[in-house]
Amino acid sequence: MHWVNFCKLWSIIPVMSNEDRQLSKFNGLANDYGADLFRYAMWICGNEALAKDLVQETYLRAWKAIDSLKDDKAAKSWLITILRREYARTFERKVPKFTDVETVVVPDDSELEPDDRAEVQLLRQGIMKLAPKYREPLMLQVVLGYSCQEIAAELDISKSAVMTQLFRAREQLKDSLQKDGVTGNVHGLY
Amino acid sequence: MSMDFTEFKRRLGAEPRSRDPELIAARDSSSEHREAVIKAELFEEKLERAASLPVPSDLLENIQSVSTSQQVKRPKWWPVAMAASVLIAVGAAGIAWNMSSPGWESVEAYVMDHYRHDGDKVLALAQEGTDADVHAMLARFDLDATPELANIVSLIKYCPTPEGKGIHMILNTEDGPVTVIYMPDIHVTDQEMLVFDAMEALLVDLEHGSAAIIGANTQHIQDYYAVVHDSIVPLPGRS
Repeated sequence: MHWVNFCKLWSIIPVMSNEDRQLSKFNGLANDYGADLFRYAMWICGNEALAKDLVQETYLRAWKAIDSLKDDKAAKSWLITILRREYARTFERKVPKFTDVETVVVPDDSELEPDDRAEVQLLRQGIMKLAPKYREPLMLQVVLGYSCQEIAAELDISKSAVMTQLFRAREQLKDSLQKDGVTGNVHGLY
Repeated sequence: MSMDFTEFKRRLGAEPRSRDPELIAARDSSSEHREAVIKAELFEEKLERAASLPVPSDLLENIQSVSTSQQVKRPKWWPVAMAASVLIAVGAAGIAWNMSSPGWESVEAYVMDHYRHDGDKVLALAQEGTDADVHAMLARFDLDATPELANIVSLIKYCPTPEGKGIHMILNTEDGPVTVIYMPDIHVTDQEMLVFDAMEALLVDLEHGSAAIIGANTQHIQDYYAVVHDSIVPLPGRS
């Protein structure tokens, strides 16, 4: 390549500062995982204002330590670990007993039949009633797409224990749906 | 050899979306297995729909504000801090706090920003009726509340403040709810009034930190100055 052309080419390549790279990386994490982290936070703390605070605190800590994240593939579990620690720290003494999840209204989606909306609402109530040891692995799997192996690593328990908890969580939810007498196709499921 | 049906159901119930070859192979081993798979898939769709809670429209904006406030406001903070220290030195006014954490340019800006962020939502939550463990939450700061305050708190939650975690609480008073934000390690000019939007805030300097009493009526929030000032006290044995 001719030297002049090389110089022209070089001059149009945008050079990112370290701060720009950090910001770009951070915004990527916010776009990719923000919504799911919020949903997960809602399921573990049960309150929208607290879940928002937890997510914001998680990202604040992530921003401060953004340079320590070397492998982008590890970003999701890194953020989840921060969030869980933050949750434990915040509520180390006592979890306030107020829950929004049961009152979260299912959007009036025309794709959902009234029976389906009722099922969604009952399932949400059922999920919140699960003991944390069942609810947390279930939400790691359903909301964040974790495998049993990944859940085991995050919760520091065996894969076999995770499988048992996930199985029991689903069984309890099915039982609660049947017990609450949801009409329609739910009965056909079991 | 085909997987035992009980074991198959257990594994399906634990990981319905598993791509494990053994599980996939077992799916077509009998009509009983196939039927279980269909039921599990139907249930999983419903579970995923239920778990996918709506996300607040301002979530992304709030997350991104974390980096913006840290980046943009950090360099701006030091001149403000210096200005504040000068003000304190001459006793001129306002800010008597030692805020090392960036994000807000003054305690007044923080109080207004905080209330605009979730003040109304927390008020709405308080109206739903909650258990409020005031003592346990204040104990995190080596503090306690006297009955005059503890008995009228209808909601209490942790919240961010310029100096880390603070407390956001709603007092259930005869004239309606009053918001109180407790800010640890921050001192303010006692009884300074702020007016913003349709709200007023009264700053209260405490022995340990400070508080802002926020409401829509001046007289109403001033009525609770003494309660807040005298009722947030160090835990016995702590000073």
